[in-house]
Amino acid sequence: MNQESLQSLLPQILLALGSTAILLGGAWVRNRRLWLLVGALVAIVAALVAAFVEPPQIDILGMYSASAYARFCTVLWSLTVAATLVISCRYVDIFRFGGGEYASLMLFAAAGMSLLSAATSFVGLFLGLEVLTLALYILIAFRHGDTRGAEAGMKYLVFGAVATAFLAFAIALIYTATGTFNLQAAAVGLQAGDGLRPLGLAGWALLLVAVGFKISLVPFHLWTPDVYQGAPAPVSGLLATAAKGAVLAAFLPLLVMSGEGIADIKAILWLLAIATMLVGTFAALPQTNIKRMLAYSSVVHMGYLMIALIVAGADGSRALLFYLVVYSLATFGAFGIITTFADENGEIQDYDDLRGLAALHPRRSALLAVFLLSLTGIPPLAGFFAKFGLFQAAFRGGYAELAVIGVIASVISVYYYVRPVIALYAPESASVCRDVAARSETLLLVGCAAVIVILGVYPTPLLSLVALIIP
Amino acid sequence: MITVTHYLMLSAILFAIGTLGVLTRKNAIVVFMCIEVMLNAVNLTFIALSRHVGNLDGQIFVFFVMTVAAAEAAVGLALLIAFYRNKETLDVDDFNMLKW
Repeated sequence: MNQESLQSLLPQILLALGSTAILLGGAWVRNRRLWLLVGALVAIVAALVAAFVEPPQIDILGMYSASAYARFCTVLWSLTVAATLVISCRYVDIFRFGGGEYASLMLFAAAGMSLLSAATSFVGLFLGLEVLTLALYILIAFRHGDTRGAEAGMKYLVFGAVATAFLAFAIALIYTATGTFNLQAAAVGLQAGDGLRPLGLAGWALLLVAVGFKISLVPFHLWTPDVYQGAPAPVSGLLATAAKGAVLAAFLPLLVMSGEGIADIKAILWLLAIATMLVGTFAALPQTNIKRMLAYSSVVHMGYLMIALIVAGADGSRALLFYLVVYSLATFGAFGIITTFADENGEIQDYDDLRGLAALHPRRSALLAVFLLSLTGIPPLAGFFAKFGLFQAAFRGGYAELAVIGVIASVISVYYYVRPVIALYAPESASVCRDVAARSETLLLVGCAAVIVILGVYPTPLLSLVALIIP
Repeated sequence: MITVTHYLMLSAILFAIGTLGVLTRKNAIVVFMCIEVMLNAVNLTFIALSRHVGNLDGQIFVFFVMTVAAAEAAVGLALLIAFYRNKETLDVDDFNMLKW
């Protein structure tokens, strides 16, 4: 490892070192807000470095890449983590989290996510994914003495550890079949019609199982609603946005290639996408808990994103990245609102608790409505434009059936997204007034909503940026 | 003569036993042991293959898997303790507060 490769990894090194420093510092200075803000600052600095400092090398030791695409992902995940830290400021005070540990684990997760989406070899992929997952195990069960949180942590741990074992075995099989750890070479090696091809295909199938667990594709989605419900709201927000986005982003460069081996994988993805969209939609309908509803909503949105992954090519990649950004903004916002409504007694989760809240908290209720409507895909908001682009790409790529199922799923989704909004604006007034939101929380959430509205009417800047960096 | 195929068979069997254990056992600690069996099956595959192909990459990967397994065991046991303090049980069937 020479100086150039270290310099190319600067954003990730900043995140990891910053995280270690906060962990050590947090042992001496017990100041929650200070460490959260330092953590957010480190994440923002890492994002700035990734965005503006030109790396001297693109290929780092054959394990990671510092391409424009990888750096864009780093910026995205670092900013998500920074926003999560800022929005958690009041939340960590209420539930007496250790501020240093919380901020440090968030930064570790950011480092893992950015390594994951930058991986060009299976070694890098495995390490990035594990750094991310290990930090998440702890973050999910972070609320001390909370039985639901501990149970959510256990569930994620058991599923996650099994997924890790599957991933490792998948890598072993692919290594057997192709003799390489390089992602691109392994996918190309699959095309050769030699005797080891079945072994390689079995490896890719196991890999899909592991990835299916991580981004909760049906039938591997069973942990999702439980974990989202039990985890602290800001952590659920991170789980639903950046943690899933990073895994998807790691596989996008791979599926852009064409070939016989990739075609076989796409056939399986096709089935998974359909199952994910349909099962997720119907499971979301009867939910009366907003965190569980958002969990199933994230399952359905992963199904939509699978369409873009299957279409691949320039069209698919552009649609995928644009959709990912818009979806992340809205989902982060929705979990952010739940965070701001939290008080000593816990979070607001049931629709019954939301009833009539709009009369007492008109601004936050309006913001939540904007986020949910953007997830539905109601026209002036960015969600509509993102869905439009995605289904259009599917039609053009010759996957009309996927687009049709996607459109049907989004029409049905109006029901479960509008239900909490109706509860919010119900005529009877809520029994309890919630705490006032901190100014930083309000500013951040208003910012998210503003970006969603602006991208809805004027998406060109993000579209051209995305077109610039796709691999 | 023991060939690489035998090693692959053995590790596939170990992996299957581990998976079966995860699916059927009730105690969370035993579930964890099964996951360790799965990971060690992976390690066996890597070592056998790396020797067979004559390239060291596979053996390096084993170190990463071992490190990850150790980290996972540390976090996992901590979570088990947190869960036990709350519920006084480690039976998987008692993970039942969160459901549809």
